[in-house]
Amino acid sequence: MIEQRRLIRAAPSFGLSQKLLGINWLYVALLCLLAGVGYAALYSAAGGSPEPYAARHVLRFGAGLVLMVAIALIDIRVIARLSWPIYGAAIALLLLAALFGHQSKGAQRWIDVGGIQLQPSEFAKIALVLALAHWFHRASWERIGNPLFLVSPAVAVLVPVGLILKEPNLGTAVITALLGAAMFFAAGVRWWKFALIALPVPFAARFAYNHLHDYQKARIDTFLDPETDPLGSGYNILQAKIALGSGGTWGKGFLQGTQGRLNFLPEKQTDFIFTTIGEEFGFAGGVAVLCLLGLIVFGGTLIALRCRHQYGRLVAFGIVFNFFMYVFVNIAMVMGVIPVGGVPLPLVSHGGSAMIMVMIGFGILMSVYVHRDVEFAGPDVGASSG
Amino acid sequence: MTIDPESEPPQSPTTRRGTPRHGSVPLMETVWVTAPDLNRRAALERTRSRLVLAAGGFMFLFVAVLLKLVDATIIQPLPAHQPERHAAQPFSPPADEQPAQKALQHEQRAMITDRNGEILAISLPTASVYANPREVADAAEAAHKLKQVLPRLDEQTVRARLSSEKQFIYLARQITPGEQLAINRLGIPGIYFEQTEKRRYPMGRVAAQILGGVDVDGHGIAGVERFFEKRLHDDPSPLRLALDVRVQAVVRDELSRAMQEFGAIGACGIVMDVRTGEVLAMVSLPDYDANKEGEAEADARFNRAVTGMYEPGSTFKLQTASMALDSGLVHIWNQFDASHNIHIGRFTISDFEGKHRWLYLPEVLAYSSNLGAAHIAQTMGAERQRAWLRSMGMLARTGIELPEQGLPIVPPAANWRDVVTLTVGFGHGIAVSPLHVVRGTAAIANGGILPRPTIVDKDEESPQGTRVMQQSTSDTMRKLMRLVVTNGYGKSAEVPGYYPGGKTGTAEKVGHHGYKKHANVAAFTSVFPMNAPRYAVYMMLDEPHATAATHGYATAGWVAAPAAGRVIARIGPMLGLLPDLTDKAAIDASLYIPLRPGRERAPAAPVASANFRREAALRMTAGPATSHDPAR
Repeated sequence: MIEQRRLIRAAPSFGLSQKLLGINWLYVALLCLLAGVGYAALYSAAGGSPEPYAARHVLRFGAGLVLMVAIALIDIRVIARLSWPIYGAAIALLLLAALFGHQSKGAQRWIDVGGIQLQPSEFAKIALVLALAHWFHRASWERIGNPLFLVSPAVAVLVPVGLILKEPNLGTAVITALLGAAMFFAAGVRWWKFALIALPVPFAARFAYNHLHDYQKARIDTFLDPETDPLGSGYNILQAKIALGSGGTWGKGFLQGTQGRLNFLPEKQTDFIFTTIGEEFGFAGGVAVLCLLGLIVFGGTLIALRCRHQYGRLVAFGIVFNFFMYVFVNIAMVMGVIPVGGVPLPLVSHGGSAMIMVMIGFGILMSVYVHRDVEFAGPDVGASSG
Repeated sequence: MTIDPESEPPQSPTTRRGTPRHGSVPLMETVWVTAPDLNRRAALERTRSRLVLAAGGFMFLFVAVLLKLVDATIIQPLPAHQPERHAAQPFSPPADEQPAQKALQHEQRAMITDRNGEILAISLPTASVYANPREVADAAEAAHKLKQVLPRLDEQTVRARLSSEKQFIYLARQITPGEQLAINRLGIPGIYFEQTEKRRYPMGRVAAQILGGVDVDGHGIAGVERFFEKRLHDDPSPLRLALDVRVQAVVRDELSRAMQEFGAIGACGIVMDVRTGEVLAMVSLPDYDANKEGEAEADARFNRAVTGMYEPGSTFKLQTASMALDSGLVHIWNQFDASHNIHIGRFTISDFEGKHRWLYLPEVLAYSSNLGAAHIAQTMGAERQRAWLRSMGMLARTGIELPEQGLPIVPPAANWRDVVTLTVGFGHGIAVSPLHVVRGTAAIANGGILPRPTIVDKDEESPQGTRVMQQSTSDTMRKLMRLVVTNGYGKSAEVPGYYPGGKTGTAEKVGHHGYKKHANVAAFTSVFPMNAPRYAVYMMLDEPHATAATHGYATAGWVAAPAAGRVIARIGPMLGLLPDLTDKAAIDASLYIPLRPGRERAPAAPVASANFRREAALRMTAGPATSHDPAR
């Protein structure tokens, strides 16, 4: 029976109700659990009140959930066909933000769309994943080996990275570049080419450092030695470390934290939400949240492996990688492992734009899962249309 | 996970899927494997191995983060309670210097903490660098080298000073350990270090005026640092204050918000445990960063809570009412004439939004009638009034452990004429500090025991202090204070489940030519929960301005009472008090007192109709206050 099922090619399209059932609801439950952790942490960050963060967090997550299920029902082949138009739209938005967006804390990274603030760079990352997946879909080993074949996708990565750097948003630009590299890696680009790209990075970094804004330089400097200026730029990191450390093994208890509650942490409801968890639930709580995040990352990787077409596989991997970068950068930042960079903890931190983009990403991931066995028509889609 | 890891292409090539031709759906057959299909599979296979590698990478980084978390929370937690260890760590001296270091630590000025052990003030070891110019061989070279390490020095000056004939000059004070190390490495003969310490206030602006500060030699110059100078110097164990820094931060937050909203020039807030007199929060705005005490303006250093003397205004009517009730000379259902303005000497006493009729005592408080309060005071007489105020501690310093505490401004006994008796009845012609008002409110609410306000943590739970009124008077007053919030000007302080009670007070400030018409001090003094009083909350705004949201009023009911309500709602849970809504009917009934006798029944039975009638009555009778009258 099982053997037979494997031989039956999935129908080109199947009913909506079947698709709904086909969604990996266990995975959705994990996402809900993570959002629940966010609710509790934000409830505490507001001093034991659903206002002003937690209530809105739940509303946004609810909206995101609906959006996610809706996207999951879209045929992945439709999404594939739209990959490059979406990419084009993302680049247009980045340009628009550069021209008309309004500044927030020294960075021009927001645009208003009908009253909703959009962060085009978050959108651009997902668009980049779609575009690169489309390019590498069905690319043969030989073609992957051809350096000329890699020029177009490299340009496709560098354009948004450059625009995001211009915003200026160093952290997101680096993450976007890494995301592009990860897609190249997953597609099977040879190892030595990565080495070739990585080699000049230290020199480029040196050059870039000299062109950074002062506040960005300060972040890197204090990262290298946070104790030099405990009341200035090192303050965030130090207070975050103190909050984490004061939690101990089991934490101070829900709503019992002081470091977060007393506004010692300037961004406690956004970037530094993990410290609230660490302070109130201690090491145990931190590990639990990390495990939950890990389950989501590895579950997503399994979805990528489970997919039987290259496009879905690459898209799923890109989305998981993007999520992982959020998580890793945020937590590493909070614990002082990498410089502070304004990256939220997805589904936990307060902030609407990032949450919606993350949920859109998970919607596409779910679409990959639902349509994991579909056939792509045409012999060589990737190469011809790119 | 329901994800099937065995989803990979099956083992035997013959059972693999067929060519990617669209439309045809073979059920089972021998499949021709075409070249493009093989290519595709190779790509999938390649991606698969890369994905597994990436998953390994994820795992590696997750484990790394996990280990870091173990490190940050369990192995080397960065403790908020001992930051000095952390600061000193990277530069720990060599082993042979350890004893000296220990001795130095022993002499360190004691820490100051809040009631939960959060550090408010701490001494960090630091060094001063000095020179004996006679031992310095080459002044020019030494100055040049020092300039490299301490760029803030002026090379010319240093060279000149190092060339002098003196035997001791300070080069720089309170240098960082890193700078000390660097100077030491220069190896210049004749350069020495002096171990000193630097006082740090990790909470910054929170509680700055209470802590005060120390001078460059480490001696307290203001606040707790000065009052407990000897204790902090002699006893190295931490000094635990009564303050709760969480409560302090909330009060400060709400005061700043109100101050900004109403454009006030200053603000003051106090939270006191009504049973022990412990001050859990004392905020005076504007404030300053305690670490930059030298840069603070005089206005910011001024602690309005203990040094500021303000006419208490209508909040004093609580005193007048409890004095009258406690004396037995006045009954709760006595009426007082509020039908005509009082002309006495060159003064005219009038009511704001007067009822122009005789008022019952609860109405005098609920409608904040100056005429009623004046008549009550007149009934009691100057002698009893002075005796009462003395017993309530209104004529002397509060005795709190702060050197800044001021003396109330009170007319001398010989000058205590009738007009004084009348105006003091509604809180004018006398000026006391906010702390006096809070303590008086606490005594009225806690069963009649006047606590001694203290800034130091006390272990006692039971009421401390001297009895100043009968328990029954306090019980009645609690109902009356609650009435002000349910039916009077204090309605915006209501917090469901916490049953606050209190009294508003808007006093015009005294200028050079009598009262200023448009400069108020708006205060709200309150206690919660009224059924079992625990904490007194006082919020005051100095010269608030009306906004559109307050319909043009800048009076206490509009500006101070809402802030007090927000503070109560936020600090209640912190202090372990949960809102009690299940027993609401019973508590409401126990705190109920009508505005007028016989007009309404207690709300126990027909709750809805009574509430409705009370609200209707309020809508008709009590509007918001305006600012054309010295007191409300």
